[in-house]
Amino acid sequence: MASLAATFGRGAMTNGWVDIKNADVILAMGGNPAENHPCGFKWFIEAKKTRGAKLVAVDPRFTRTAAVADLYSPIRAGSDIAYLLGIIRYAIETGRFHKEYVQLFTNGPYLIGEKYGFDDGLFTGFDDATKTYDKTNWGYEADPKTKAYAVDKTMENPRCVFQLLKKHVERYTPETVARICGTPKETFLKVCEIVTSTGNAQRCGTITYALGWTQHSTGVQIIRAAAMLQLLLGNVGRPGGGVNAFRGHSNIQGATDMAGTFEILPGYLKTPAGPQQTLKDYLEAATPTTLNKQAWASMNYWQNYPKFMASLLKATYGKNATKDNEFGYAWLPKVDGNYSWMYIYDDMYRGSSKRLGADEPAPEGLITFGMNPMGIGPNVPKMVNALSKLKWLVVGENYEIETATFWKAPKEYGGPDPSKIPTEVFQLPASGFAEKDGTFTNSARWLQWKWKAVDPPGNAKTDQEILARIFLAVRDLYKKEGGALPEQVLNVTWSYSNPAAPDLGEVLKEINGKALVDIPDPKDKTKMIRTAGQQLENFGQLQDDGSTACGNWLHLGVYTEAGNNAQRRSTADPTGLGMYPNWTFSWPANRRIMYNRASADAEGKAWDPTRPGIVWNGEKWVGDVPDIKPDSPPGEYGAFIMNAEGVGRLFAAALNDGPFPEHYEAVEAIIQNPLHPKVTSNPATKKFSSDKDVYGKPDQFPLVCTTYRLTEHYHYWTKHTEVLNQLQPGFFVEIPEAYAQKQGIANGSKVRVTSARGSIEGVAMVTKRLRPLQVDGKELIQIGFPIHWGYSAGDTGHTGPLANFLTPSAMDPNTWTPEFKTFLVKLEKA
Amino acid sequence: MSTVAPPSRRPMDPAVLVARDQEDVLVGNEIIRHKLSSRVLHWVVAVTFFGCVFTGMPIWTPVFGWMAHLFGGLTVCRVLHPWLGVAFFLSVLFEIFDWASDMRFRSDEKGWWGPKLIRYMRWEEVDDENVGKYNGGQKFFFWTAGLGALGLLLSGLMMWFPQSFPKILMQLAYLVHDATFILFMVAIIFHIYLGTVAEPGTFRSMTRGTVTRKWARLHHPGWYRQVTGEDPRRP
Amino acid sequence: MSLDIRRSSASVWGSASGMRTAQVVSKYIDTTTCIGCKACEVACQEWNDLGPVATEQVGTYQTLPTLHAEFWNLIRFNERDFDGGLAWLMRKDQCMHCDEPGCLAACPAPGAIVQYANGIVDVNPDQCIGCKYCETGCPFDVPRFSATTGKMAKCTLCVDRVSVGLEPACIKACPTGCLHFGTKQDMLELAKGRVQQLKGNGFAQAAVYDPQGVHGTSVITVLAHGDHPEYYDLPVDPHVPWGVKLWKTIVRPLGAIAIFGAVIGAFGHYMNHGRKGVKGADAHDANLPDA
Repeated sequence: MASLAATFGRGAMTNGWVDIKNADVILAMGGNPAENHPCGFKWFIEAKKTRGAKLVAVDPRFTRTAAVADLYSPIRAGSDIAYLLGIIRYAIETGRFHKEYVQLFTNGPYLIGEKYGFDDGLFTGFDDATKTYDKTNWGYEADPKTKAYAVDKTMENPRCVFQLLKKHVERYTPETVARICGTPKETFLKVCEIVTSTGNAQRCGTITYALGWTQHSTGVQIIRAAAMLQLLLGNVGRPGGGVNAFRGHSNIQGATDMAGTFEILPGYLKTPAGPQQTLKDYLEAATPTTLNKQAWASMNYWQNYPKFMASLLKATYGKNATKDNEFGYAWLPKVDGNYSWMYIYDDMYRGSSKRLGADEPAPEGLITFGMNPMGIGPNVPKMVNALSKLKWLVVGENYEIETATFWKAPKEYGGPDPSKIPTEVFQLPASGFAEKDGTFTNSARWLQWKWKAVDPPGNAKTDQEILARIFLAVRDLYKKEGGALPEQVLNVTWSYSNPAAPDLGEVLKEINGKALVDIPDPKDKTKMIRTAGQQLENFGQLQDDGSTACGNWLHLGVYTEAGNNAQRRSTADPTGLGMYPNWTFSWPANRRIMYNRASADAEGKAWDPTRPGIVWNGEKWVGDVPDIKPDSPPGEYGAFIMNAEGVGRLFAAALNDGPFPEHYEAVEAIIQNPLHPKVTSNPATKKFSSDKDVYGKPDQFPLVCTTYRLTEHYHYWTKHTEVLNQLQPGFFVEIPEAYAQKQGIANGSKVRVTSARGSIEGVAMVTKRLRPLQVDGKELIQIGFPIHWGYSAGDTGHTGPLANFLTPSAMDPNTWTPEFKTFLVKLEKA
Repeated sequence: MSTVAPPSRRPMDPAVLVARDQEDVLVGNEIIRHKLSSRVLHWVVAVTFFGCVFTGMPIWTPVFGWMAHLFGGLTVCRVLHPWLGVAFFLSVLFEIFDWASDMRFRSDEKGWWGPKLIRYMRWEEVDDENVGKYNGGQKFFFWTAGLGALGLLLSGLMMWFPQSFPKILMQLAYLVHDATFILFMVAIIFHIYLGTVAEPGTFRSMTRGTVTRKWARLHHPGWYRQVTGEDPRRP
Repeated sequence: MSLDIRRSSASVWGSASGMRTAQVVSKYIDTTTCIGCKACEVACQEWNDLGPVATEQVGTYQTLPTLHAEFWNLIRFNERDFDGGLAWLMRKDQCMHCDEPGCLAACPAPGAIVQYANGIVDVNPDQCIGCKYCETGCPFDVPRFSATTGKMAKCTLCVDRVSVGLEPACIKACPTGCLHFGTKQDMLELAKGRVQQLKGNGFAQAAVYDPQGVHGTSVITVLAHGDHPEYYDLPVDPHVPWGVKLWKTIVRPLGAIAIFGAVIGAFGHYMNHGRKGVKGADAHDANLPDA
């Protein structure tokens, strides 16, 4: 999501599931939606059946999606950037892109400063010692007079983004793409033709992806390339367009929205960093400004950051948050480095939490809920040894997961003898999703309320009750015995009717937020927009003076005075485009298609009148909830209100590994980078350096391997479900038929797959769906296997190897997502 | 008024006694035709056969559905039929071993399936005084019945386990089972007819085990000569 | 709603009960939009309280090699090379609910297999004797014997749901909408429309599989490669097996005639010829000693 935020301003699916039915072309790449999102996939089918949409599937494997696609294109795992930049090159060369859109809504015409450059695989500003880029090298060029952004509307200036992009992608000819990706040139050109057929006002296409893009050491830049392609084709903000990220879990979008990772607070506010000791410092650093800090044709909506932050702090600390104590800002932890969970496990394994000079001991205990680190992290041998160093481990789960039983993992995972493990494990029985109320926030950003279907069995409790009881017990201990930093715990507001088991409706109300005092209307001070105690209606009502409390500004509108809007279930569809404005609540502001200002041209007329997002009726924008000031006439503000410059970014200086994507090989590279052999893999990739973090070379491990999921299972816990075990009873390895024949591997026989980390055994599935590819002049074999199995399967007996035993601990430098999708292995008969 | 001795004290009928384990001997005016074991075997064959008939025919066609009531319903018939079939086949097998030596065709016994049979059924003389213990028709029936039992068994086994055989063979199995059964049934009807009303004196050979001299002379002159040493043509 | 019966197995004379007319219903399976997610497999088992069945991974995505007494709905997966590339064909295998059902024709138990007026072919476990004849009668290899119940089992087209106005469970569960349910006429319309679309989309041989050899089925299937049903494990020209037809329509009545004929023949023979070896009037006197 980092790439979408860097390009468009918000890190989420731009459109929505239903909207896919409005597409003319669907490029399904970096994901297998038919397999992993079968319910959402109905809209692909709808588009095919009602609009005659073309579905193009690009995947290393001929997948379930490919089975119903109009065109399937093979690709070498991890070479997606070359492929996408190849399409971008094709679009620019052939003129099959939406020029007017690019001029209006992207930074294509913007000039970039002289410090930017790219040479032999490296952008300017690379520090080889720290393996990081100095991103200030990639800044915009200021207009000499105004000091504002320098812009060339004609996009002819060689320093404008469009020309820089054109130059950057020049190398990605169809021949080069074929050489790098293993895709036959004719197939690639067919894909180019179909995809760029939407580079105009009349047609519109969408790109869908999932973990097949994110789980690479170049994951964020792959998605960047897709986002850039969509900007170029003018497909962002329009019904039937967008870059649609499919989240892997029913509520992962909600988890990220609510600070699922260490570097963000709810609503994608930033976690304070060490140097930001005061709220003022923090806000200064966090609130984006335009280049010259002057007004620009941009709403720069993030300028309201102080309001979001003050309201969050009020929601967190209640009455204890005052103007005088900066709303309790001091009590928030400040991070001094990377605390992404992989880093925490690295700390546990190394026995040290060394960060920015401060030498701290490693964590001695771990509380883990709704997550199975033994299964989901790469390099299982490191994981099991890290857990083995803990004093205590608390697992809240509805099944006995591998993490809770890490101490009895099979020997081959390399953990210590159970008698030598000091860890005391507490498994707290938690309820499953159907055993509790609450919301799921889906990929389309809909907060959908769900009602409990059955009571949790036995002593199982809801997660909120378990967490609340731990919190209350810890607070009591602080009250009685004191301890380190007591304010952080004692000042938290906890005003639920049942403090030990908060009602999630109340929590949602708190997330939405309310006025703490009467809020006067800025236009007419005699009127109140909200009176004290009233639920807020939209984030325009938030204040930075502590008069409003809001747990997550993005979710504002979900629980208003009208009630719990996540429970709305109206199927009314006034636009006929499947926006369903009264079905639940969609952040932001119940908007169904983000950046929808870009669905209309310079005059505010729809690019395609049959598919209007919003249109200017002379007084205001009508249609979807406008992603622009509702009464601002066309031309006043840019279409991308979250970006300070107001436009979508073809060139984005925000990411850690370059303003443009560039093809790099996986960390375990099967070949040298054909474009720049000196810089084969992503130079900014994060790797660990412990003895367990080992990486393979092609001479020992000559096959490329990828991992994936199956429709029939959900992560690592449906192996407890007999009905699903019946559908997919056990672990298997998919092997190309041509290769299997050469090696004498029979379908259904046992094979052994080995990487630098370890070795697992499974049933061979010999298939035509994986084909040898011609890459860089050589035949390249790809194999793959699904995750879903492990050594803990209750009484079902459906155990199997953990797929991540073999995967490397190499990560994307922006999101620290591990490279599960491309690594090297060897294959033998078992 | 004469007194009759209580049965237990009555001396055993010598013919019955001898017929327990001997055949082809003359006892008084009777000739032993079938020893006890052969008779029992024959009746086991008969009972299992009719068990199959009455459990099979209601499954065969609803016209004979009423037969199922004898066993407690069609499902019982379905369960019993294959087991009875196996029992039938096994008893036929025993019978074949028991009688095979008597059932060898002689060279002059050819053509029983055809003109000879028709002549026979017209009660004309066939093979004249050479007819041995079994005439050619009986031998033909015997071997045909054995073959039929094998056909019924094999096709029946396939019908029992249809998933283990290819479809096309299964279709054949049903036809073979049916056709064999029909021929078998027609033959059995005539077998019974001939063994009871049409040829009086025959049925006792399968109950008491003996036939009269006159019967033997008429139906199996060759055998009569062999057993008694007398000329069958002499009155 | 009670269901009128159109045909009932092993009936000697007239089995249709219907005073009312019912529209023939049908499922419509669009294999070109099936993603093989198996939701229908699970829905079928859950609604009908079946399974789970023990399976094992043998090198395929397909749940079981064939249908099973506890598994009435199986997605079959076939990989096939074409000039234009590869196809991964997925088809929902289940009872086709033939207009002329071979199972019903083969069934010897009165009323054990019925065809309702709306076209649904159903096994009535009350009457089923578990003889497995229907396995041979079925041209689609569908009915299965359940060792647990001693009865045959197969898809009922959710007759219990359909009779109260609901769609079959598999239809309800299908996420992509590749499964439809309605009157046969409506489904044929839909299917034909889809075929036209497919033809326009490069599948010149697309066709509706509604085999006329069994007078059409209440499960119609759209195939992109309509000229090759066998690619989908479907019979090219299914019909009630000739063996079953021959057996039921010729051999069986002839047999019955033959058996009755034999009895009559023996009787006639006795009338004509009397006893062997007894001449003249005595030949018909039952009281005469046996020679």
